[in-house]
Amino acid sequence: MATAVIMPRQGQSVESCIIGKWHKQQGDPVQEGDVLFTYETDKATFDETAKVSGTLIAVYFDEGDDVPVLTNVCVIGQPGEDDAPFRPEGAGPAAEAKPEPLTEPAPVPTAEMPTQTSPALSGAISPRARHLAEKTGADLRQAEATGPKRRIIERDIRQLVDAGKLATPAAQAAGYPAGVAGTGLGGRVTTGDVLAAAQPAAPAALAPDDVTTEKHSNIRKVIARSMQASLATMAQLTLNSSFDASDMLGLRSRLKKAAEQGLTAEQGFALAGQVPTINDIILYAVSRVLARHPACNAHYDDEKMTYFRHVHLGVAVDTPRGLMVPTLFQADTLPLSGISRQVKDLSSACQKGTISPDLLKGGTFTVTNLGTLGVESFTPVINPPQTCILGVNTIVTRVREQNGQVTTYPAMGLSLTFDHRAVDGAPAARFLKDLVQVLENFSLLLMQ
Amino acid sequence: MAKQLFIKPEEVRQSDWIKFRDIPVNQYSKTMADEAGAYSKEDLLRIYHDMRLIREFESMLYAIKTTNSYNGLEYNNPGPAHLSIGLEASSVGQAYLLTPHDFIFGSHRSHGEILAKGLSAIQKLSDDELQKIMESFLDGATWKIVEKAAEGQDRPLKDLAIDFLVYGALAEIFAKTTGFNRGLGGSMHAFFLPFGIYPNNAIVGGSGDISVGAALYKKINRKPGLVVCNIGDGSLGCGPVWEGFMLSAMDQFRTLWEDDMKGGLPLIFNIMNNQYAMGGQTRGETMGYDYVARIGAGINPDQMHAERVDGYNPLAVIDAFRRKKEIINAKKGPILLDTLTYRYAGHSPSDADSYRTSEEKEAWESQDSIAAFHAQLVLAGVATEAEITAIDEAVVNRVTHAVRLAIDPQVSPRMDLSKTPDAIEKMMFSNQQIVRMEDRACDVLLPKEENPRLQQIARKSRFAFDEQGKPVSKNKVYQLRDGLFEAILDKFYEDPTLVAYGEENRDWGGAFAVYRGLTEAIPYHRLFNSPISEGAIVGSAVGYAMSGGRALVELMYCDFLGRAGDEVFNQLPKWQAMSAGILKMPVVVRVSVGSKYGAQHSQDWTALCAHIPGLKVVFPATPYDAKGLMASALNGTDPVIFFESQRIYDVGEQFHQGGVPVEPYQIPIGEPDVKRAGTDVTILTIGATLYRALDAAKLFEQHGISAEVIDARSMVPFNYDLVADSVRKTGKIIISGDACERGSYLNDLARNINDLCFDDLDAPAIVLGSRNWITPAYELEEHFFPQADWFVDIFHERIQPIPGYAPKHSFTDVEMKRRSKQGV
Repeated sequence: MATAVIMPRQGQSVESCIIGKWHKQQGDPVQEGDVLFTYETDKATFDETAKVSGTLIAVYFDEGDDVPVLTNVCVIGQPGEDDAPFRPEGAGPAAEAKPEPLTEPAPVPTAEMPTQTSPALSGAISPRARHLAEKTGADLRQAEATGPKRRIIERDIRQLVDAGKLATPAAQAAGYPAGVAGTGLGGRVTTGDVLAAAQPAAPAALAPDDVTTEKHSNIRKVIARSMQASLATMAQLTLNSSFDASDMLGLRSRLKKAAEQGLTAEQGFALAGQVPTINDIILYAVSRVLARHPACNAHYDDEKMTYFRHVHLGVAVDTPRGLMVPTLFQADTLPLSGISRQVKDLSSACQKGTISPDLLKGGTFTVTNLGTLGVESFTPVINPPQTCILGVNTIVTRVREQNGQVTTYPAMGLSLTFDHRAVDGAPAARFLKDLVQVLENFSLLLMQ
Repeated sequence: MAKQLFIKPEEVRQSDWIKFRDIPVNQYSKTMADEAGAYSKEDLLRIYHDMRLIREFESMLYAIKTTNSYNGLEYNNPGPAHLSIGLEASSVGQAYLLTPHDFIFGSHRSHGEILAKGLSAIQKLSDDELQKIMESFLDGATWKIVEKAAEGQDRPLKDLAIDFLVYGALAEIFAKTTGFNRGLGGSMHAFFLPFGIYPNNAIVGGSGDISVGAALYKKINRKPGLVVCNIGDGSLGCGPVWEGFMLSAMDQFRTLWEDDMKGGLPLIFNIMNNQYAMGGQTRGETMGYDYVARIGAGINPDQMHAERVDGYNPLAVIDAFRRKKEIINAKKGPILLDTLTYRYAGHSPSDADSYRTSEEKEAWESQDSIAAFHAQLVLAGVATEAEITAIDEAVVNRVTHAVRLAIDPQVSPRMDLSKTPDAIEKMMFSNQQIVRMEDRACDVLLPKEENPRLQQIARKSRFAFDEQGKPVSKNKVYQLRDGLFEAILDKFYEDPTLVAYGEENRDWGGAFAVYRGLTEAIPYHRLFNSPISEGAIVGSAVGYAMSGGRALVELMYCDFLGRAGDEVFNQLPKWQAMSAGILKMPVVVRVSVGSKYGAQHSQDWTALCAHIPGLKVVFPATPYDAKGLMASALNGTDPVIFFESQRIYDVGEQFHQGGVPVEPYQIPIGEPDVKRAGTDVTILTIGATLYRALDAAKLFEQHGISAEVIDARSMVPFNYDLVADSVRKTGKIIISGDACERGSYLNDLARNINDLCFDDLDAPAIVLGSRNWITPAYELEEHFFPQADWFVDIFHERIQPIPGYAPKHSFTDVEMKRRSKQGV
């Protein structure tokens, strides 16, 4: 009966050995004790000797082959005997190819979360200080960081508590200005304190007629609060750009002419009776472009981003009482004529002071226009928790070189302020670029 | 250091010659016929059987290692197998005359020795004794398997006991819970105490000093039997083996030990000389002794009664052991035997035998001990071929049967660490309180009350301050060393097995006067000076404790810990768990951290010990804690590395109100202690740094900062509750000790405190250790060890800047990174 010769296991860590040299060839007679072949591990070379005598009737591997241990390497038997029962699976010297190892699919890179900035002035605060601030209601925004590496540490919070610089969570959320005296529990500033009339003391050194004092109106306080909170908590920066207003201005003049020609809405010329203002046109364009830039039509807080299906445009309106920002809800669903009409209504309500408070909130993006006052570029302040605000500037005449000709064109400036916590520079710039393109081809946008 | 021994110059300076006696080499020359009267037919056939069983057992392991198969049974054994094929005659020969009271210790290549010793013990024990041993061992876990497999068979108990032995050893080698050590010891550490089989050792020469401790135990505690240390010729290159020789051959056994204690150790170093040490040939290549037997002449005037014995002839080995036992009984040990043999297998199955020729192997195989003994049996007419064949077949059947049982995962499961995740965890420490390891009278020289030092201490103030709060002078105050002394003296009068030794322990009273007053009270055999052999000091303590005693040994300086590296890191901590809780290790190693003595005498190596699983580590810094922790360590059953500091042996007790109690008390190991209460910053210290932290607390006070100072007292185990409570209050912590900062245990504490107290911390836990340099001279130490003002400086820089404060030492990020980059 034939006897198989296996590749011995030389040590536990050895999984396979390389055949170094065959001392016997297939068909050779072998005597017990004859060296059949040598084989190698990474540590040493061994001789495999025949344990029985007979004829080498089958050889399954060549010199240099890497053979798994305990695999049959060759068979000693009598000439003519069948070696098939001993043949290792897929053997034959050529059958060495190993299946390609299955590669794990590359992990999908996860989107980077927007960085969350601390409300503190310095970037760092010790866990203990944060804890204590929460417990005492200390107003972290007023903390002076005296720890190593400008870290806010426990004593800085104790300092706030001792100085009465406290804020209830609600008051903090309302973004009250620094320095309001608190009447709440333990000297905390409450929402009541914030909303109550402030009590500015007249500077004693000045003569009474040199100065006049005027109590803040509530709207002034709200504006102050909101703007202060905006600048204190956000990472704001502004991108400036401009667009060729020729198309837009041309459209307006044609609409004006259309009205002069007596074309009416009834005839299907929706805009003929009411020529949209430049601001209306920009609002319309913004409401359409934002659909492709959800991060600019969003709310940001420390925990999350909130995205909106519709565009609710805040429209800054200058009133004798101060800045008011009524909201044009679902502006993306309104035609230009609708926008034009509603903005007019909102603006008029603000001027009269009859605007419903419900219409003064809920915006997802704000447009403010100082262009009518000749401003060429400015830094609008974001209305929290929105992520962007667009400032519209005046139109200036610019020159450009086209086909060797220097020509002039009306350029209207756009200043986009965005919150870098929520939106990075490049996406904000892409939004602006998109908007510029749409405004430069505004008449085409209207062709639906 | 013994006053009784007068070194006379005229004698030692005399001209003379050292003379040696001839060393016998293979002098046994009897034939089987010559021995006819000495051995019965059964004896001779048993010798053949035992050798044959070992050969089969080892060949089976070789087959499984290299082919995953034996006799039709398939199994994969990933563990080690250092086989003793070729050594059977030596193994059986050494065990043949030994009784169950006699201990053997082994090496990594000791399967043959343990089987031989087990077979010898089975032969000598009565059926009742055997039954009791097998039924009670590990609650019968091993025996039940063997008993069930033999159900319905009418076999003699001794025959079943051999099944038990073979199966228990094999299951252990295969890491099964039914093995002799629940599979936690394995091939290189298998043992079975009831048969006198003490641990084998995976460290070459590891038994060389451990066995000396076992022999000390037998002698000091008047236990019957002798100890055989079976180690290889390769181990003669190992320092601890030489240290073991020196410790075992001390003159004091004859010159200073008194009455029935006078005389040599009952110990045979049986060098299993297979002539190879890994790939090196010990004769002709890697050693110069020519004959192992020559070494004895260098150790003592008795030349250790050394001789070479033919380890290929079991009768020659038995003859040697018969003669050597007589020498042991005459109290003239220790003995060195050069038992010449040859291993056919390589060092392990991965050894290609590239260092020897097949002709050499064949030459030895042609003189194979088993084949030769077989031939002699037939030639002398003791047995027929048929009888021999019957033995051979029975052996193969027995081994096959054991393999079948051992590889069956249902019959012989492995430890299930998913179901019982703490199975190994709870074996790391035995955590017992045993006041005395044996209940009998203690050998002492005078009643405790009459101790001169106790009388001296009685006149001292047990608190550091008098009633007016003024410090008591050094000479009148009860010091830390007195606390250690009292706890140790108490234990000497409680536990008769307690021994203490080290390099200057007796008349000197310890280099730091901890033992002053013990020499008068304790006889030589319980308190003695050892050679300067740190490895053997700790190694022998391991052997002493394994055998059932309690040892207190001293390494003098912490810096000498490296000399006992294997013993402290590999032996002392491992045996409780590797024995599956069968062994206990009540050993206290006193280690003194120096000062003033420079780079090799001032280091705090607590971190090295705390790193090793299985050691308890303590470092008291006050007399009250020193006495209480020493009492705890000495009452426990676990190895304790007991750190002391030479800076503070003379401090008085400043914290425990009422001073250090006279009566015995224990402080649990693992509990830190508040030494000064405060509210603004926590300082956690290890060892003598406590006192600099207290000075720092005074400096902090000047800045209106109230420091709470906590003394860690222990490192392993360590209860974080107290520290976490303190940090909850202060929010700030500095962790300090005298160890070089890099890799110190301080970092471990800091890391865990950062984890546990993260929300309470006002700054990360700060580590303040010594510089990563050599320890400079005493005069420069203030630049090396943490000083009081360093605490304030690091607080200012890293925790809470102090307005207007100008630190003198830099603890900035830049400095931290610079040092790290430089590796200093």
